[in-house]
Amino acid sequence: MDSTRSSASVTLSVWNGLFLREASVRVSGARAAWLWLLLEPIAHLTILMVIFSTVRKQLMPGIDFALFLAIGILGFDLFRHSAMRSMAAISANLALFAYRQVKAVDVVLVRAFLEGVIQLFVGLVMLSGMALFGFDVLPGDPLTVLCVLALFWILGTGVGLMLSVGSTLIPELGRVASLCFMPLYFLSGVLFSPAMLPPEFREWLLLNPLMQGLELLRSAFAPGYPAVTGLHLDYLMAFAALALFFGLALHVRFRARLVMQ
Amino acid sequence: MILVKDVHKRYQTEHGPGKWVLQGVSFTIPPRVSVGLVGCNGAGKSTLLRLIGGVDVPSRGVIERRCRVSWPMGFGGGLQGSLTGRQNAKFVSRIHGHDLDIPDCLAYVQDFAELGEAFDEPVKTYSSGMKSRLQFALSLAFDFDVYISDEVTSAGDASFRAKAAAAFKGLADRAGLIMVSHDEGTLRQFCSAGIWLDGGRAHWFDAIEDALQAYRGNLAA
Repeated sequence: MDSTRSSASVTLSVWNGLFLREASVRVSGARAAWLWLLLEPIAHLTILMVIFSTVRKQLMPGIDFALFLAIGILGFDLFRHSAMRSMAAISANLALFAYRQVKAVDVVLVRAFLEGVIQLFVGLVMLSGMALFGFDVLPGDPLTVLCVLALFWILGTGVGLMLSVGSTLIPELGRVASLCFMPLYFLSGVLFSPAMLPPEFREWLLLNPLMQGLELLRSAFAPGYPAVTGLHLDYLMAFAALALFFGLALHVRFRARLVMQ
Repeated sequence: MILVKDVHKRYQTEHGPGKWVLQGVSFTIPPRVSVGLVGCNGAGKSTLLRLIGGVDVPSRGVIERRCRVSWPMGFGGGLQGSLTGRQNAKFVSRIHGHDLDIPDCLAYVQDFAELGEAFDEPVKTYSSGMKSRLQFALSLAFDFDVYISDEVTSAGDASFRAKAAAAFKGLADRAGLIMVSHDEGTLRQFCSAGIWLDGGRAHWFDAIEDALQAYRGNLAA
């Protein structure tokens, strides 16, 4: 009489369904939604390039300044979009909890995964475009590039998992978190290299795993880039693992409260 | 077979835990038995349906579903407004493990719901009657052992109600039904057994007529 499916097969089919659903909304939801996904980072880069080439004629040694900014934007956006989109996943999918197969953690993880795929694709298109304009975009150390990107994505997913629980239980937390991403953008060194900073500030700012990651990413792209010393991939890895662990733990702890309406 | 053991439920409100909606509800629904839930407004009928459907979890106690149970039809959830009826139907087919026979499921839903071209329009443009047609067709597209219905048969126009009633009748020999309705005729038509919810407790009656009588007697008293 027991004709039910196993938990794993239910979860897999839920992920499959959710992924296709989220992807079709994200890519074809609004008019030319896919175009805006590409235009956003390109416009971001263009604006920064215009500002910096007029305000400051400084050249970054060992790396093209456009590539320097592009790497910063792509890396930070991978983290930011994974975290922000996952944070909103529960409230955006409340209707789906009518099906008991769909759990809160499913919608968050699927969104984070989709966002990772999209940002990776956006990055590839943008770097290929830059290659057509004659920039040297091929990374010198592709393995480190992949590692850092994967860790950024895991860190974003972990933060997104934590914030999705936090903002569902305490809605004010979501607003505060959205506000915090702006200062984080400046503190993560998207626009500058920590090598430009006085040592006493540099030490403090390097406690930010995102800044360490971006710096590692740049030196992996351009081997001649003079990165600051004291960068550790392990440091970023520890943050990513902790964020993922606590994010999942929060989802386990509050799984009943999250789907209540 | 569905086992409900000593289930308590209260909701979290903004001012801490709310009052108990269900206090120690226990019963067993045997396979292929159709049950009608009666009780006055706020007695916890929809709460109990949501608990049985697994959408919400009890504050205390356990609910065991030893069969395939549908989601609670008819409280408006489960459809995403920005997606079309077809996309929603595809999603529901996928999460129920029907990836391979999506075309069959879609054909059935399209045929039963009779939405015409609106099937390819976003659900947010639907009227409430069209939404319940879609939901109802969706739940019938899959083989469940128990269907949970929250006033769903009262949705739609007369011809659709007749069609829905016929479909429910057709299910009766292979599946069970748990339904809430304020229409006694509907309950008598579909249900054999009854549960009367009163003061957070459930009273099981083997005949729906007895449950209705207990409910009416309590109202008169």
